[in-house]
Amino acid sequence: MAERKVSVTSEVGLHARPAATFVQTAAKAPFDVTVAKAGGQPVNAKSILSVLALDVRQGESIVISADGDGAEELLDQLAQIASAS
Amino acid sequence: MELARDLRKGASLTTVLAPVAGAAIGLAAVPDPVFSQAMVGPGTAIDPRREPGTAIAPISGTIVKLHPHAFVVVGDDGRGVLVHLGIDTVQLKGEGFTLLAAEGDHVTAGQPVVAWNPAAVEAGGRSPVCPVVALDAPAESVGDVVQGDVDAGDLLFQWS
Repeated sequence: MAERKVSVTSEVGLHARPAATFVQTAAKAPFDVTVAKAGGQPVNAKSILSVLALDVRQGESIVISADGDGAEELLDQLAQIASAS
Repeated sequence: MELARDLRKGASLTTVLAPVAGAAIGLAAVPDPVFSQAMVGPGTAIDPRREPGTAIAPISGTIVKLHPHAFVVVGDDGRGVLVHLGIDTVQLKGEGFTLLAAEGDHVTAGQPVVAWNPAAVEAGGRSPVCPVVALDAPAESVGDVVQGDVDAGDLLFQWS
């Protein structure tokens, strides 16, 4: 299991454009991808409903996890999206 | 995968109501690519009447997220609908919006959720257009999308 912990820096948090881009990118993976608030329950990173309901605000940390061929590259992409301002 | 989801959910049909009164204009007309390119999901958008109004729940279910400018209602079948009141309205930080329900509330379709004034949003230099989006829905699952004048509570689209 590979994972990345990043701080969400977008003013809107992981909502709107960052959330949609994040979910679209995760959905391309043939393996499961999850996202959680630091210390919280992971949710399906491919679900816009789950990601919006997770309600990550600016400045909060998230942990993105995946396991599979290409997981490291995907997590790098997702971490970049989540930490872009 | 979509077939599996349909089977799991018993191939249900969700009737989504117009959350606000105005003109149904389609997502492509929304002045924000995140919605107009259906990045959030399929659905439509309403150009609201420029008068103080109340946004109602488009489906029955639980308000899983309630911001002043946007909310998500999830039905008992797990399907979520996002209502976004205006574009870039997160920047208003709640000013001009009054919550009429609380996060976690179970609401019936048509129940008031947020009071707001589209005219004031527009006067502040933002588009008051309201995307109404079926979350995690394949594009082809949204149909019977109404075009033109709607009152709050009218049928807006069907989600099969």
